[in-house]
Amino acid sequence: MVDNDLLKRLQQNDEVALGMLMKLHYDDIYNYAISFTKDSGLVKDSIQEIFISLWQRRETAGHILSLKYYLLRAIKNKILKSLQRNKGKQEWDQVKEGYDFFHEFSVEQMIIEKQISDEKAARLRRTISLLTNRQAEIIFLKYYQHLDVSQIAGLMDISRQSVYNLLHEAILRLRSLWQAEFQTR
Amino acid sequence: MKDYSLYDVTDFVMDEDFIRWVKENKKTDNDFWHSWLSRNEDKYLEVAEARRILEFIGTKKNVLSQDEKMHEVEKLMHSIQNLEQKPEGRSTSVFTLYKKWWMAAAMAILIGGSLTYFVGGKKKEKEQFAYDAMTQPKRLIENINTSDKVITIKLPDESTVELAADSRISYGNNFGSSGTRDVYLSGEAFFKVTKNPSRPFRVFANEIVTKVLGTSFIVRSFEKDSVIQVTVRTGKVSVYSQATTNAQETSSPGLHGGIILTPNQKLFYEKSKQKFQKGLLDNPLAIYPGENYRGNMMFEEMSVVKVFDILGRDYGINIVYDNDLLVPCTVTADLRNESFYRKIELICRAIGARYEIIDGQVVIQANGCD
Repeated sequence: MVDNDLLKRLQQNDEVALGMLMKLHYDDIYNYAISFTKDSGLVKDSIQEIFISLWQRRETAGHILSLKYYLLRAIKNKILKSLQRNKGKQEWDQVKEGYDFFHEFSVEQMIIEKQISDEKAARLRRTISLLTNRQAEIIFLKYYQHLDVSQIAGLMDISRQSVYNLLHEAILRLRSLWQAEFQTR
Repeated sequence: MKDYSLYDVTDFVMDEDFIRWVKENKKTDNDFWHSWLSRNEDKYLEVAEARRILEFIGTKKNVLSQDEKMHEVEKLMHSIQNLEQKPEGRSTSVFTLYKKWWMAAAMAILIGGSLTYFVGGKKKEKEQFAYDAMTQPKRLIENINTSDKVITIKLPDESTVELAADSRISYGNNFGSSGTRDVYLSGEAFFKVTKNPSRPFRVFANEIVTKVLGTSFIVRSFEKDSVIQVTVRTGKVSVYSQATTNAQETSSPGLHGGIILTPNQKLFYEKSKQKFQKGLLDNPLAIYPGENYRGNMMFEEMSVVKVFDILGRDYGINIVYDNDLLVPCTVTADLRNESFYRKIELICRAIGARYEIIDGQVVIQANGCD
């Protein structure tokens, strides 16, 4: 796998490999991070920082099993910690539970392929925005980042069973919203 | 083996194999699901709904443009070059082996030229800034490389110096605690400076001072030369003459004729005239590390303005042109294996323009395109 080769080169002090890893994963990390805050400057700085720490710990980089999981976890912690600092002294546990996740799911593909009307598209957008934070995050992690259950569990600090439950809940919700939308027409 | 006949809509939506079928639409998956559906017709509606839900879960692309991403990668490269270099194992002496691999991130100060002597007041000044005159009154720690190989010295702030043969370097015993990190050089050395914006790192080499704004660089300075030359590959340095600093006791160089050098620029300091002049390297190198960052040099019907912007960014060199004249111009060219000047030349030829190097910038003189 590309990541593993690049991590090996990283261990041999290859700076170019670090640059390539950043390029490779930038979209995924950015897309996840920007869901916690609208502050794109904060996101960019935080991404810089996590790659600098990856460089500093490059000697042990071989132990990273899934670099994507490592990076997503690092960026989430970093962003939530900065948000916590701004908000004042909230407990870290509280922050880990109570953050916002404003990912926008797109219905553009749908509009193009199924030729649905603008009005319907607008309703669809509203529909998906009715997912809770946690539901939106889990949908994002599974269907956009393609993480497996244990990685999602690690990132969201919940058990594997809770991942199944939450995912199930989210899909049921999508399904009912979906049906309501399309049957009222 | 999974028993799909027991699945409901939600189970399908969560199933990896099902997701792959919907997202990737591969023939083997298509074949499997079509044959499965023909055997389980009662599941048809559920599968259709699961498919619709999956198709619906698109995600908005919140991504940076290619240019912005390149900028971020470049920024990362600068940051890690400024990080402290971890020693490769403990060596018993202060000197470790010469590491060629970070030569790439180098700024060079070269002193070349013929032997010229000055008379009168000039000579006094020259003596005032000679290595011995600068270092003797101070309590300094001195390293002399009498070998014929490059040696590496670690400074108290973890910066490293690769000292060339026949060269000397000194620094104060308060180096680790004073407001500026000053070193004195006679000869040639490559510095890799740890970043510390509150404590500037300064290299005193004869009449000129090179102040580091965060980078790594080579200084070459042998006492008796008439022209001092500073060359930057990556990072940023400022250079100013010692005479001006002493006259005005301020450490901000921009106020009294200090000159900021950016990648691929070089600077001549003519001792007799006490004058700086900026130019460009004979063969500028792209400032992105590695071939992967130089890939996008194939242009097809590309706006010339855009091509100049890409070139300028890749080499960190300012390219000056008349925007209104060049807006209608396009080029088609494969510039992947050409040197910087050759690239500029080929583009100029394509649009009937000429170029000049003025003050470290490329100035394009064009007549426009039809």
